[in-house]
Amino acid sequence: METDDLIARLAADRAARPGPRIDLALAALGALAASLLVMLAFWGLRADLLQALASAAFWMKAGYTAAVALAAWLILDRLARPGGRSPLGMALAAAAVVLVAALAARELALLPSDQWMAVVKGQSWSVCPARIALASAPGFLIAVLALRRAAPTRPALAGAAAGLLAGGLGATAYGLHCDETAAAFLAVWYTLGMLVWAVAGAVAGPRLLRW
Amino acid sequence: MMLGALDGDAAAEAALLRALAGHFRAYFGRRMGDGAADVEDLVQETLIAVHLKRHTYDRARAFTPWAYAVARYKLIDHYRRRGARREVPLENAEALFEDADPVSRTARQELSRLLDRLPARQRGLVEDVKLAGLSIEETSRKAGMSASAVKVSIHRGVKAMARSVGRGDR
Repeated sequence: METDDLIARLAADRAARPGPRIDLALAALGALAASLLVMLAFWGLRADLLQALASAAFWMKAGYTAAVALAAWLILDRLARPGGRSPLGMALAAAAVVLVAALAARELALLPSDQWMAVVKGQSWSVCPARIALASAPGFLIAVLALRRAAPTRPALAGAAAGLLAGGLGATAYGLHCDETAAAFLAVWYTLGMLVWAVAGAVAGPRLLRW
Repeated sequence: MMLGALDGDAAAEAALLRALAGHFRAYFGRRMGDGAADVEDLVQETLIAVHLKRHTYDRARAFTPWAYAVARYKLIDHYRRRGARREVPLENAEALFEDADPVSRTARQELSRLLDRLPARQRGLVEDVKLAGLSIEETSRKAGMSASAVKVSIHRGVKAMARSVGRGDR
């Protein structure tokens, strides 16, 4: 087909679509709702949730996972568009991880080294990352679908950010069940759980997000 | 124009796509070798992508980087499909994608050396018409010059290039 004919046809198609920001905001809401459902269906809220709301450990956990989700959303908002990059989102994600790692280091420094493993492992280390990944799975799907309607030009990074958004929201939901309080636990197992879909997204992004 | 195209103005989008087609043709031509059979396919593919993905353009940002990011993505995609698994991490890495044929590569390098000696404005005109394949009218509209002035300038530019070849002055 001649290029001029093509242009005429394209210009004649006036179907309008919402921008990626709206799509991604809806996707984040959907992903959070899905994660909450998974958490409620499999594990339920922690029994002492109301008391926990008054504890710093609860908010450290919620703040960490929500900050990761927010950072991932900021990154996606830029990476969903051709040529987009997001130093702000990257910096926020890095800052959250570094801050929690520092809190964990300070916590461990105050304890004798023979207790470190016990603190890091807590009561539920063996199930925590897998549960976070499970709670994040539907969110990952939703985020990828939203991203497919956009136009990421760095698909591996965009896929990773989609996984991190799902992971952050899934971990936030799971935090309403989990009663671990140690920063070291958070720094290791929550981070690991949130990274599961981020890694999957980085690997599958170039395939899933082609346009 | 992009805003008009986004707001549902078909004429504005047609004008935008026509202008972009010229730019993309030049962009792909520089990287794949002028007149390569795939250039026009890739131009069309990129125009379709611009149209289908126009909702991902952020009005608060510059339009040109967005359009070229689409073109670059389509170029990488093209190389990938062709089985040449190569990345394009930087704009400067374009030399990697020059045609492997050494003769045409030297010719192209020669050409760009000669072009470099022309004044910027004249160089742009020569590139648009002789390399990107725009018509004299398109070019004169783009440059804001009359068609005859464009023709004269190009004629002089090409002559100047021929002279420097003749002198063996490289």
